[in-house]
Amino acid sequence: MPDMSAIANPQQRQFNPYAENGGTILAVAGADFTVIAGDTRQSEGYSIQTRYASKVFRLTDRAVLAVNGFAADGNMFVKKVKQRLEWYRHNHAKDMPLRSIARLIQTMLYAQRFFPYYVYNILGGIEEDGTGAVYSFDPVGSYEREACRAAGAAQSLLQPFLDNQIYFKNQTAARGYSHPAHLPLPDVLSIVIDSFTSATERHIEVGDGLEMYIVMAKGQTLPDAVTNLLPEELPSTGDGERVFVLKRDLKKD
Amino acid sequence: MDHFPTNWGRPKYDSFDTHATYPIHNRGHAQSAASNGAVQHTHFSHSKSALRQPIVTGTSVLAIKYKDGIMMAADNLASYGSLARFKGVQRLHPVGDYTVVGASGDMSDFQYLQHILDGLVISEEANLQDGHTLGPAEIHEYLSQVMYQRRTKMDPLWNSLLVGGVKDGKRFLAFVDLLGVTYSASTLATGYGAYIAQPLLRKAVEGREDTLTEHEARTILEDALRVLFYRDARSINQYQIATITANGADISGSLKLETAWGFAEGIRGYGAQTQ
Amino acid sequence: MFLTRSEYDRGVNTFSPEGRLFQVEYAIEAIKLGSTTVGIRTPEGVVLGVEKRVQSPLLEASSIEKIMEIDTHLGCAMSGLTADARTMVDHARVTSQNHAFTFDERIKVESVTQAVCDLALRFGESVHDEDAMMSRPFGVALLIGGVDELGPQLYHTDPSGTFVRYDAKAIGSGSEAAQSELQDKWHSQMTLREAQVLVLRVLKQVMEEKLDQHNVQLAQVTTDKGFHILDERALKEVIDTM
Repeated sequence: MPDMSAIANPQQRQFNPYAENGGTILAVAGADFTVIAGDTRQSEGYSIQTRYASKVFRLTDRAVLAVNGFAADGNMFVKKVKQRLEWYRHNHAKDMPLRSIARLIQTMLYAQRFFPYYVYNILGGIEEDGTGAVYSFDPVGSYEREACRAAGAAQSLLQPFLDNQIYFKNQTAARGYSHPAHLPLPDVLSIVIDSFTSATERHIEVGDGLEMYIVMAKGQTLPDAVTNLLPEELPSTGDGERVFVLKRDLKKD
Repeated sequence: MDHFPTNWGRPKYDSFDTHATYPIHNRGHAQSAASNGAVQHTHFSHSKSALRQPIVTGTSVLAIKYKDGIMMAADNLASYGSLARFKGVQRLHPVGDYTVVGASGDMSDFQYLQHILDGLVISEEANLQDGHTLGPAEIHEYLSQVMYQRRTKMDPLWNSLLVGGVKDGKRFLAFVDLLGVTYSASTLATGYGAYIAQPLLRKAVEGREDTLTEHEARTILEDALRVLFYRDARSINQYQIATITANGADISGSLKLETAWGFAEGIRGYGAQTQ
Repeated sequence: MFLTRSEYDRGVNTFSPEGRLFQVEYAIEAIKLGSTTVGIRTPEGVVLGVEKRVQSPLLEASSIEKIMEIDTHLGCAMSGLTADARTMVDHARVTSQNHAFTFDERIKVESVTQAVCDLALRFGESVHDEDAMMSRPFGVALLIGGVDELGPQLYHTDPSGTFVRYDAKAIGSGSEAAQSELQDKWHSQMTLREAQVLVLRVLKQVMEEKLDQHNVQLAQVTTDKGFHILDERALKEVIDTM
């Protein structure tokens, strides 16, 4: 006799407070700039909820945050980080430095250790010493500074590619030559765009649109090769770091 | 007579229930209640918020952007499991002068939200009279905060909501659900509509948001509702359409979908067939 | 003064019709009874100096503590009811550590001063659920010295919760004479050693006893070495160069 108990006594389904909304984010630090990018598709399961939902947000003149995972948590988290940054500005009469934002994000994530924000964060921008920096986080606040990081649906497709193209892993330099420590901005942008077009091809949750934020260190100007791509410059408060946005279409299928 | 509705049992036996309309007489004590057959009168007092579930539910809501504003549609059915329980329910609710909220999911949670929103409009607009009025973007932000806070308390309001409206010449259309997930697009659909109607709406609307006339928009929504009525067992052929333009929100009376079932005769296993 | 006592003396948070808070003003008076304390800011760092009143030859002078470390880059000197300062310095230390924990950076001198002044105003009758920490104003003034990204800075706080930044400031019983001496002698390009000597000279002028390494205390906060209290040997060295 088949076990009918499962049918006779339907089990109560516990409310699941999380969802996974797809998409991918990516950041690369240069010597005096940082690129932070994300696709704009938001999905649940096989359904595309919208083709345009931003996952990358400017926080200050020199900090940009990308969030990926559960969209409701992501939006709430960004909202709370922005709120803390404003309080800080009022209390200390300055914008929060990048490494302080990184530490703040850790404490905010860990405060929710037992009901976490289901969000993978990548923070990019310019440090106080003028160098480009990327910080990556797990949902409960572990973080480290890196030169590049991919997260989200296509992390497993993109990170090995970045390891190879940014860190030159598994590449041998020609005799008498060594790999550069940092790539120039046009090269980084090409790698970022190629990363997302490739992820769009191979991952169903990636596509629709691409938003790339470029943070330039104090006194740095965009190379002509990048100016030709017609990035939009976001208004900034001073004559320090500058933030640009580049948008690209990705395939919508 | 047992006056306690939760002890009445579920309306119809279903081993699979995609709408998550679980038998309410089992709530909280699924095992013991079913095995010893004892009526448990303490369910409500013992029930934990985490075990809540939708009871009387509404199906899809559809909405699109068009030339003059936003058009939203929902049918008039509130189901009790697979029983078509209430056939004259309005699921489109005007909020203030510029906004309409459409709800699918639990109808009692929706009524609670209507109560909250009506109170909000009174306190923000009637009482303050400070010249600020709540537009669709503000209503949507408020609703998404309420929905997210309730999900964070593990006591969600079991709905998917569409918020549409026009204010200061700008069209607004966005979604929020029981998890607090939000998004915006020129066509939106909840529930089964997300699977069945959304592809039809996207094909008809995307790229034509600024040129579609009211008549065209209405036809698009009616066609989508008709497909849903053919395919979604929890839908009905009575519906209402809300139009929100610069002139304000207008919600139609209950309309009837014209349907044709003649083709069914030719489908094997559907109509009366000899072989 | 007692002849002028009025009902506005009773409630610590009751304004008089002239718009004064008597208890706060009395608290500020209490500082004028305290030992003289001097602070000087230089481009190299901040120097803090206090007079210790060694009332008895049996008193262990090294147990009088009127300069305290707040953090590695922050120090403070006090005058008035020094016991009250313990609460304030404790608050400043916690604030500084919390800031370092949350933001991975050293707190600014102004921010920690603001935090102390926030505490200074938390006195009075507690309102239902809110708990007041003190029933009266603090009877102490602080000179908070420190170094941050804006360079060396010196702040003065008083029981009213007001704080002001100074290049050089004296508080306590000898403050009037000391302040005018500072005004004469301070200049913007002082070296740290010059500041140490000036602090001691000013203290010497206003002290009743003969100044030596037992009845004064000197501390400094510098850009590279942070906060540190001079030990008696180092102190004697400075005194000898006076």
